[in-house]
Amino acid sequence: MASPLTIAAPSAPEVAAPAIGPSRTPRTNGERGLAGKIVGYLGILLTVAVILVPLYFIVITSLKTQPDIYRDPITWWPNPLAPENYSYVGEHVSFGKYFRNSVIITAVLTVVKVTLGVLSAYALSFLRFPGRTLVFFLVIASLMVPNQITIISNYSLVAQWGWRNTFAGIIVPLAGVAFGTFLMRNHFLSLPKEIIEAARMDGAGFGRMLFRVVLPMSWPTLVAFTLITIVNEWNEYLWPFLMSDTDKVAPLPIGLTFLQNNEGLTNWGPVMAGTVLASIPILIVFLVLQKQMIKGLTAGAVKG
Amino acid sequence: MSLSRRSFLTWAGATASVAALGGLSACAGTGGSAAGQEGDGTIKFWSNHPAKSKDVEQKIIDAWNAANPKTPVQLIDGGANYEELAQKFNAALTGGQLPDVIVASDVNWFNFALNGATAPLDDLWTKAGVKPDTYVDTLREDYKLNGKHFAMPYARSTNLMYLDNAIFEKAGLDPKVGPATWQQFAEWAPSIRKANGGKPVLAIPDGSNYLDWYFQGMIWTFGGHYSRDWTATFTDPKSIEAGKFLQDQVKQGNIAVSNDAVNQFATGGASALLESTGSLTGLTASAKTPFTTAYLPGPKPGAATGGAGLSVPAGISEDRKLNAVKFIDFLTNTQNTITFTQATGYMPVRKDAEADPAEKMYLEQHPNATTAIRQLNENTQPQDAARVFVQGGGKRIGAALDRITIGGEDVATVFAQLQDETQKIIDRDIKPKLSN
Amino acid sequence: MSISTRSPSVPADDDLEPPKRRQAYSAREVALASALILPNLVLLIVFTYRPLLDNIRLSFFDWNISSPRATFIGLGNYVEWFAARSTGTIVLNTVVFTAVSVIGSMALGLALAMLLDQKLVGRGAVRSMVFAPYVISGAAIGVAFQFVFDPTFGLVQDLLGRVGVDTPNFYQRPGWALFMVTVTYIWKNVGYAFVIYLAALQGRRAELDEAAEIDGTGPVRTFLRVTLPQLRPTTFFLSVTVLLNSFQVFDIINVMTKGGPLGTGTTTMVYQVYQETFVNARAGYGATVATIMFIVVLIITLLQVRIQDRQD
Repeated sequence: MASPLTIAAPSAPEVAAPAIGPSRTPRTNGERGLAGKIVGYLGILLTVAVILVPLYFIVITSLKTQPDIYRDPITWWPNPLAPENYSYVGEHVSFGKYFRNSVIITAVLTVVKVTLGVLSAYALSFLRFPGRTLVFFLVIASLMVPNQITIISNYSLVAQWGWRNTFAGIIVPLAGVAFGTFLMRNHFLSLPKEIIEAARMDGAGFGRMLFRVVLPMSWPTLVAFTLITIVNEWNEYLWPFLMSDTDKVAPLPIGLTFLQNNEGLTNWGPVMAGTVLASIPILIVFLVLQKQMIKGLTAGAVKG
Repeated sequence: MSLSRRSFLTWAGATASVAALGGLSACAGTGGSAAGQEGDGTIKFWSNHPAKSKDVEQKIIDAWNAANPKTPVQLIDGGANYEELAQKFNAALTGGQLPDVIVASDVNWFNFALNGATAPLDDLWTKAGVKPDTYVDTLREDYKLNGKHFAMPYARSTNLMYLDNAIFEKAGLDPKVGPATWQQFAEWAPSIRKANGGKPVLAIPDGSNYLDWYFQGMIWTFGGHYSRDWTATFTDPKSIEAGKFLQDQVKQGNIAVSNDAVNQFATGGASALLESTGSLTGLTASAKTPFTTAYLPGPKPGAATGGAGLSVPAGISEDRKLNAVKFIDFLTNTQNTITFTQATGYMPVRKDAEADPAEKMYLEQHPNATTAIRQLNENTQPQDAARVFVQGGGKRIGAALDRITIGGEDVATVFAQLQDETQKIIDRDIKPKLSN
Repeated sequence: MSISTRSPSVPADDDLEPPKRRQAYSAREVALASALILPNLVLLIVFTYRPLLDNIRLSFFDWNISSPRATFIGLGNYVEWFAARSTGTIVLNTVVFTAVSVIGSMALGLALAMLLDQKLVGRGAVRSMVFAPYVISGAAIGVAFQFVFDPTFGLVQDLLGRVGVDTPNFYQRPGWALFMVTVTYIWKNVGYAFVIYLAALQGRRAELDEAAEIDGTGPVRTFLRVTLPQLRPTTFFLSVTVLLNSFQVFDIINVMTKGGPLGTGTTTMVYQVYQETFVNARAGYGATVATIMFIVVLIITLLQVRIQDRQD
C-alpha cells in the first residue's frame, strides 16, 4: 500500500477490477426506466425550488426599487419594475474598465494556474524524485493558510518590489496553485496503471505522455479545475483590493463596492444588479465548459 | 525586548535571510527615517467615500487641481468601509508607499495616533495658515491626544431619533417634538404602541450594528458613562441604572433591538428609530410614511457624535505633510463642507457654514437636516474612551448590550465583566503609551 | 514528510527512505520533475510559507498593527487565548460550522451530481443553476439571504407564517444565527462539491454500475457497493478541501452577522483572526489564533489522510 499521502495510489479500489480494462464508453443509464426518470425529475424539481428561490430573489431584487425591496409581506414580483438599477451601475461605476481588469486577471491566472497545476500534478504522480512526498505535503498544507494571515507580509514584500497598483502585483502572489495540484494528482493516480505503463514501454516522452495519454483521459476533472479556478479568481477581493489604487488595475468586485453606502442606507437594487452583471459571464463560461466535460470524455475514450 | 517593524517582518523584506529567525534581538530602528517618505508630487487621498461621496469628492478635488496644478490630488479608493481603509493603511505602514491623506473613523484615528502612524497637526496648521478655531469646537476637540490634534473633522455624523409622523399624531403627540427625557419616552410608549397595532415604539440597531454608539447618549442622560478619562465606569450605579432601563424597555416591548432597524422603521415595524444622520438621505427616499427627526432625549447631552476625520501619515516628508494639510483645509472649507454635507447628509464642520446664505436657505427647506446641526451644538459631547479609544471597545460594549437585551442576562453581572475586560486593556495597551 | 514515513506501511517509493533500498533516481526524471514543479513550489513558498513563518513568529509578540514596534512576550498570547472567556464559544462555533458544512455540502453535492449525471431533459440548465450560487460573491449572497431569513420581511418568516409557525429570530439567537450562516454557506458551496463529483462520475467506469444493474442489484446496494467505493478518492479530496475551505469562511459571516449576536454568536476562528488583527489592531494576538488554527487543521488533515490510507 502507498504512503499515507499518496492518496488513490494505483492500487486503489477503482482499479480493483482490472478485467474491465481501459475502454470507456459514455454513460448510458438513460435506460433506467420510467420510475427512475420520475424520481430524477422530482429531484430536479426539488433542486430547482431550493436553489432557485434565493437566486430568483437576487435577480428580482436587482429590478426592484428600494421601498419595494423591503416590503412586508415580501413581493414576488418587482412593482414597479426598476431596470434603471442596471443603468445606475453603468453610470456610477466604470464597469467597462473593472470588467476588463477582471478578465485580464482571471484569464492570466487561470492559464498560469491550470498549467502549473497540471505540470506539478504530473511530476507528483508519474515521476520519481527525492522529496516527492514532502513536496506534495507542502502543497496540501498551503491550503490551510488563510489569506488573512498572508496579506500583510506579502503586501510589504510586493510593495518593496514596486509592484503596487500593477497587474503583476495582483497576479504573481496569487499564482501558486495548491488546490488544482491536489485535484489533478488525485485524478492522475486513479488513471489505469496499464495504459500509463504501456505508453512508457512505447518510449513516450513527457510531451506525448501528457498530451496524448494523460490529459485525454482527464478532461472532466481538468474542466472542473478550470471552472473553479475561474470562479475563485473572478471573485478575488481582499488581495486585489490592497494592491490596487484605481480602476487601472482593480477588478470588478472592488468596483461594485462603490454601489454600497458605507455609512447609512444602501440601496440594494443597484448592488444586486451589479452582482448579476458580474456573475453572468461566469455562468456562460460554465454552460460552455460543462458540455466540454462530456465531449472531452468521448474524445478521450476514442484516443485511449 | 522589542524590535522595529522592519526587523520583525524581515522575511518580508528584500533583505530576507536566515538570520531573520535570530533577528528577534536585532533592534535596528530603521522604521520611519527622519526625512520621511518622498512622493511623486501628487497628493494621494485614500478615501472610502463615506455616504457614497465619490462624485462630490472628485468635484472638490477637480477644483483644487485647477487652482494647484503643482500639487494635484489623486483620489484613491481606500476600501468599502472604514475597516477596510484602516486595513489598507496598516498594510502600507509595513513598507509600502504611504498616502498623504486618509479617512479615519472615530475609532481608527486614535489607534493610528497612539502608535505614531499619523502626524500631530498643530504645528502644520500654523505653517499652513489653517485656523483651527474655525472648525466646530466639539468636532475638532474629538481628535485630541496628549495635547495635540491628530485629525481634522470631515464626514461627521450624530445620532438622531426618527419619528413616524402619522403614528405620533394618532397617539395624540406632536412628532415635531421628541420625548424630552427617556422617562418621558417610557410614559409615552404605551399610547404609541397602541396607535401602531402593538408594534414596538423604537427600533435601535443591535450590538452587531453599533448599539454601543446609540446607547452612549442614553447612558449619559442617566448620569453614567462608559468611562471617564482612562477609567472604565460600567459598574457605576448610574451606568447600571441606564442598562437596566434599556433592558426593561426591551422587555416591555417599547424598544426593539433590531438586526435591521432602518428597514424595520421604514416598513412600519416600529414607530421611531435611532439612527445616524447618514441614513437621512436614504430614508427620505425609502420610508413608507413621512417622518420627522428629533433630538435624542435629554437631559443634555444625550447624543454622541461619530463619523470620520482626515489624518496625515507620520512617515511622509514635511513638504508632503504641509501640502496634505493645505488640501484638507480646502476640502473642508466653508464652501466645500456645505457642498459635501448637502450631498451626503453629514454635518458641516465649519462654524460659519450655518451663516452662509445658500446653506441657510437649504436648511430652511430641509428641516430634518437642521435638527442634526442644532443638536450638535446643544446635545452632544465627545465619545467615551472605552468605546472609541480602547481596541475593539465598540464591539465589546455592543456584545454586552446584546446580552442584556436580546439575551436578557443580568445587567450588573454583564457590566462587571465588561468593566474588568475594558480596564485590563486600558492598563495594558494604552496607559504605557500615554505621555501624560 | 516525517509524519507519513514513520508509518509502518512505508512504501518503496518514499523519499526519506535510505536510497540503497531501492533503485536510484533517474537524473533525467529528477530534472524533469524539478522543471515541472519548481515554479509552483517557489510561488507557494514565497507567498504562503514565508508569510506563515512570519505569522508564527509574530504570535510570540505583542504587536499593535499600526505600531512600528513589537514586544516579545513569549507565550503570553497563547496563555491569553486559552484563558479567554470567549474561546470555548468560538471553538465550538468553528467545529459545528465546519462539521455541518462539510457533511451537508458533500452529501448534497453528491446527490445532485448523481441526479444530474443522468440523461434528463434540461439538465444542462439545472447544472448551471446548481453551480450559480458558487459563482456569486459571498458578500452578495449574505445580502440576498437577508430576504430569506429576516424576521420581519424574510421568506422563511413568510412561509412559516402561512402554516402558523413562529419564526425564530435568526439574527439574534446565537444557535439560530449559526444555523443561518451554515445553511447559507452550504447553499453557496454545494456547487463546488457538485462539480468535482460530477467530473468524477463522468470520468469513472460506468460499466461497473451497469454490470451491477444487470446482476439485478438494487439501486441502493449499487450505490453503496459500487459507486461510493469508486468515488472514494474524490470523497477524500473533497473532505480535505471542503473542510479547509469552510474553516476559512469569512465573507458570509462578515456580511450577515459580523460575528454576532451577543458578540461571538457566529464568530469562528478565522473571523476572530480578522477581528483581532484588523479591527482590534492586535496583530500578534491574531497571529496566535491563526497559528493555533493552523496546527489544529494540520492535525485534522493528517488524520483524514490516515483514515483514507487505512481504508485502502
